Amino acid sequence: MGQGQSGMGGGPGGEGGKDAKDQKKDKPKYEPPPPTTRVGRKKKRLAGGPDAANKLPTVTPNARCKLKLLRMDRIKDHLKMEEVFVNNQENLRQSKVEKGSAEQRQEEERGRVDDMRGSPMGVGTLEEMIDDDHAIVSSTTGPEYYVSIMSFVDKDLLEPGCSVLLHHKTVSIVGVLTDDSDPLISVMKLEKAPTESYADIGGLEQQIQEVRESVELPLLHPELYEEMGVKPPKGVILYGSPGTGKTLLAKAVANQTSATFLRIVGSELIQKYLGDGPRLCRQIFQVAAEHAPSIVFIDEIDAIGTKRYDSTSGGEREVQRTMLELLNQLDGFDDRGDVKVIMATNKIETLDPALIRPGRIDRKILFENPDQNTKRKIFALHTSKMSLNSDVDLEEFINQKDDLSGADIKAICTEAGLLALRERRMRVQMEDFRSARERVLKTKTEGEPEGLYL
Amino acid sequence: MVKDEKATAADKGKGKAVDTPAKDAAAKDKKGDKKDKKDEATEELSEEDQQLKSDLEMLVQRLQEDKPELYKPSLDQIRNFIRTSTSSMTAVPKPLKFLRPHYEALTALYEKWPAGENKTEFADILSVLGMTYSDEDRLDSLKYRLLAPTSDPGAWGHEYVRHLALEIGTDNARRAKEGEATPNKELLNLALSLVPFFLKHNAEADAADLLFELDSIELLPPYLDENTYARVCLYMVSIVPLLSFPEDVKTLKTAHTIYRTFNKLAQAITLAIRLNDVELIKDDFEAAGDDIALKKQLAFLVARQRVNIECEDEENAECFNNTRLSEHFLALAKELNILDPKTPEDIYKSHLENTRGPGASVDSAKQNLANSFVNSFANAGFTSDKLMLTDDDSNSWVYKNKDAGMLSATASIGMIHQWNVDEGLAAIDRFMNVSENHIKAGAALAVGMVNSGVRSESDPALALLNDDQWLGSKVPSIRRSAIMGLGLAYAGSQREDLRELLVPIIVDFSFELEISAMAAIALGLIFVGSGDGDSAEAMLSAIVGRDDASQLKNKWSIFLSLGLALLYVGRQEDADATLEVLKAAPEPIGTATGVLVEACSYAGTGNVVRYQSMLWHCNKHIDTSDDDQKGDDLYQSYAVLGMAIISMGEDIGAEMALRAFGHLMHYGEPNIRKTVPLAMGLLNASNPQMKVYDTLSRYSHDNDIDVAINAIFAMGLVGAGSNNARLAQLLRQLASYYHRDPNALFMVRIAQGMLHMGKGTLNVNPFHTDRSVMSTVSVASLLTVCVSLLDARSFILDAHHYLLYFIVPAMHPRFLITLDEDMKPLPVSVRVGQAVDVVGQAGRPRTITGWQTHNTPVLLSYGERAELEDEEYIALSHTLEGLVVLKKNPKWQGKDN
Repeated sequence: MGQGQSGMGGGPGGEGGKDAKDQKKDKPKYEPPPPTTRVGRKKKRLAGGPDAANKLPTVTPNARCKLKLLRMDRIKDHLKMEEVFVNNQENLRQSKVEKGSAEQRQEEERGRVDDMRGSPMGVGTLEEMIDDDHAIVSSTTGPEYYVSIMSFVDKDLLEPGCSVLLHHKTVSIVGVLTDDSDPLISVMKLEKAPTESYADIGGLEQQIQEVRESVELPLLHPELYEEMGVKPPKGVILYGSPGTGKTLLAKAVANQTSATFLRIVGSELIQKYLGDGPRLCRQIFQVAAEHAPSIVFIDEIDAIGTKRYDSTSGGEREVQRTMLELLNQLDGFDDRGDVKVIMATNKIETLDPALIRPGRIDRKILFENPDQNTKRKIFALHTSKMSLNSDVDLEEFINQKDDLSGADIKAICTEAGLLALRERRMRVQMEDFRSARERVLKTKTEGEPEGLYL
Repeated sequence: MVKDEKATAADKGKGKAVDTPAKDAAAKDKKGDKKDKKDEATEELSEEDQQLKSDLEMLVQRLQEDKPELYKPSLDQIRNFIRTSTSSMTAVPKPLKFLRPHYEALTALYEKWPAGENKTEFADILSVLGMTYSDEDRLDSLKYRLLAPTSDPGAWGHEYVRHLALEIGTDNARRAKEGEATPNKELLNLALSLVPFFLKHNAEADAADLLFELDSIELLPPYLDENTYARVCLYMVSIVPLLSFPEDVKTLKTAHTIYRTFNKLAQAITLAIRLNDVELIKDDFEAAGDDIALKKQLAFLVARQRVNIECEDEENAECFNNTRLSEHFLALAKELNILDPKTPEDIYKSHLENTRGPGASVDSAKQNLANSFVNSFANAGFTSDKLMLTDDDSNSWVYKNKDAGMLSATASIGMIHQWNVDEGLAAIDRFMNVSENHIKAGAALAVGMVNSGVRSESDPALALLNDDQWLGSKVPSIRRSAIMGLGLAYAGSQREDLRELLVPIIVDFSFELEISAMAAIALGLIFVGSGDGDSAEAMLSAIVGRDDASQLKNKWSIFLSLGLALLYVGRQEDADATLEVLKAAPEPIGTATGVLVEACSYAGTGNVVRYQSMLWHCNKHIDTSDDDQKGDDLYQSYAVLGMAIISMGEDIGAEMALRAFGHLMHYGEPNIRKTVPLAMGLLNASNPQMKVYDTLSRYSHDNDIDVAINAIFAMGLVGAGSNNARLAQLLRQLASYYHRDPNALFMVRIAQGMLHMGKGTLNVNPFHTDRSVMSTVSVASLLTVCVSLLDARSFILDAHHYLLYFIVPAMHPRFLITLDEDMKPLPVSVRVGQAVDVVGQAGRPRTITGWQTHNTPVLLSYGERAELEDEEYIALSHTLEGLVVLKKNPKWQGKDN
């Protein structure tokens, strides 16, 4: 209401929500900047999403059918028409104004703005908006200032708690730092895909299938679930004894998918300061939602996900609060949309039942020690790149009833290779494998008094 | 989705692995040693896979050998493999994968085989293989399917059938491109053989799509049954706004046939109304036979659209004629406890306004005028108020107005007594015989408004107004009002006697233009959407044939164009001839009228091509600084309104239009900018969406006061009858902001009045019956008001504010009243909630969300839907809206069971 109008004085303000959408208002001439807008009040929830007024209509149904096609086509047609119209108008305007001068002027103006901003600029936090042109900011050094906001600052981006650029002398706000998520989180975003792919997994066919069905497929083909009339699972938990390939599978998923892949370890969520853990947790999911579709992989979830109990230790309680935040993020009030969660642990029985209830984690995928067939595959996988002597017959190990995990098999192969290396042989012999197995099994059972009391 | 019916539960668990049939056990042993070596070479294949692969290879080998007797078992085995294979959703079934490398060889082989049973069967299998192999344009699946016509295609599973459907579509499109006659007979037969499969497997959309592709949707009905028809029809009906003429009509007709087949007369008649086909409506109505209650229900549905259907039976006629609308409305008011009349002050709530000191410069005449309007809007249909109908001293308020103000004040009685003919006429009576001309004119208008939307045998409006004292009066204002009154009273009735009455006024150039123009509007309203030739001829001759072309520069000329355009609301291509004639008309009115007619004829269709041409009209920047060129840019304003009219009723288009309006506001010249708010209002009438009224509220502070005034009105239109508290607050703020500007303040008051229209019980949205049917009368009435606001300064804000009363035909109660079979109100519990689009969703999703339970009668807002809470009664109408007749459910066992 009445912004940019004279004679309105301090008219009754105070409706939120009518902010933004002002882009239409500026006049063709562009001399004064567009009338100031209302200040954004934490409305940026849609994070990076287009302005509400500019959002395209949602298209239902999700099932593949002509209706959907036609509706999408309709949107496309309209957008094309808009484009043509806007281009026409821009051309008309351009032909009116002599060429070049507009750009030049823009350049000039930009330079002037840069001058006004000065350098260096301080970074502060916006504490409170007073009115359209004034705000209280605090700098990292401590004191809070009542400062003015420069007219060229995009007020839609201002919201309490955001980082702002401050002029070094007058401390007035000269810019907004938009990316307010913790740098820790950008680290978690996976830039380079791991090299492990599904082909590097021996066996685990069923597990792979389950993960793909509940994580990849909903992101790729949501309509399949829609047709069936079920909601796709929100997340899966991978559990099983150590070395059975839980993390490996997650890596393969990351390798395979084009979705944003965020990976964290449960222990990372435990922070030094009170409240930092839950905040980090929130931000992770916020980043995930911003970059949707995305997959969040939390390794070693038992670090924070253990059963709750009465605890007097502050640290303990903080860990529990972090888990509560996680619970909320997984299936809380807000819909997370296209964010899938994969968790991994080897102690599922210690986890809080609330964490793994259906709705939060819909699928629990057990990783067992490999059976014979799988063992064969794993052996084949690991020995495929080794130079083996012709006397090597892996069937011997495969048929033995040792309780080997995937990691153990890998260890045997590596150990055998090392043994061969020690003796400067070019090929790995059966003998190497045998002693490697002895060694691995020995270290594995060490500490357990085997058969002492029998 | 249904992958493969033959798969057993055990198979499913196995994931990618494939069960090897037991009979192949022998083959397994034989190949055992060979396999192990291979295992090391190609690691990724598991044992079973390897087994399968070699089996298949052997079978292929066998087919290539020269032993015809082995062909059949081999083919059988391959088929068995394919059919029994299951896979995860992500992977290609294994047998198909392994057969892929041999595909070329097999196709070559196929050509060599002699014709016969084996060959046919071979084709059958090749068709399936073709699904995974062939490129998009090879269409092998289809080719071989056509060569193997006997088998049941459904046996190969859902994915295959879908693929086949895809290829049929592609092939058909290709053939059409090459100029072959489509649909091809063979293709069509194949398609029809797929349809039952789709329908059986919960893929109604696919079935309909396939036939849409082949352009033969009309063949669908015989395949439907009790369980599938509803979903298919829903799908078809919701696809209609996205189709172009004539497919849309064809689809609607097919859906109508389906509904008729399953005896869903309420749905059928709704579609018939949508088709604007009176014969079809009558036919549907007669089909109800002896079911009196159902007949009445159908009559109610028809009456909502104001289709004029003569009916012998008195009771049914009562329903058709809306005779008891007022009675029902008052019953609702009583139930909701809102019978107490409201004063304008109750609406303004000026104690909440933030005024600084009294508005010294306020024009009190304008204020009083605004009060008359607000009073009539707020108490519309309630038959009582505190301003006009005070007992004894009743004339006083009328005389507090000046000149034309008296006209509007008197006319407001008509709105207060809307639908209530007897009482209304009695109340107006005392104003009919006064000497003051303005009051008489107002009374004439009031008579029209009282009768708007209701019909009775005695035809009081025509009987009263067709008189020398009124229609034949020498006083222009009385005459004008009488004509307008007739237009309002008989909007949509298409009565020929009225045409005979009005046409002479239009074509007689000795009349002043304003009288002729008003007659044109009235005739347009009466024959709205009829495409009536005689009326069109009259109006065309009024436009084209006028000797003194300069007269057409008169401000009233816009109503001549509008009258003509209204005749063609929703007629689509019927208007083409008229458009041709208009090309010969003098400029600028010729172009402007052309745009308006085009826009109206595609009203509510969402037709993209027309929409585009409207947008294209807005491209130019016209210099109107010269006096000569005044009015040259009028067509652009019409084009903006046209965008709204065309895109309304099609959700996606409507939303996208809002975006386009943003651009228009950005780039447009003043004439476009001032129309944009009106178009937005038109598009969202009685649908107060936050994003719309937020934008409008911003426009209401525009530097251009014309834009601001129109935006304020649009805010009223958007909130009409909704009592929306936030809008009310915005308007109050506007009232204090504009307290020095009498024009803007007047408009704010009007908007406030509209917001509280009928104390929040009415709406003006042209769409009814679950937003599926567009009421042409409502569109016409809203459009008329909007057009009169294009030049607000010379009409509404000048002495012609009574033009606002053109909104009357659009006003309709937004109630849901349930009646028993004897037409007595029957309170039942209903759930009212936001409507959800359930088209194409699996299962039986809820059609409403976030509902609350109420007892009827209840009010329904825009986008809300109601459903009966329990099954004690059966509603005879498919949508619970307006008047609904309930029937006792014979199977009802009481609440506990």
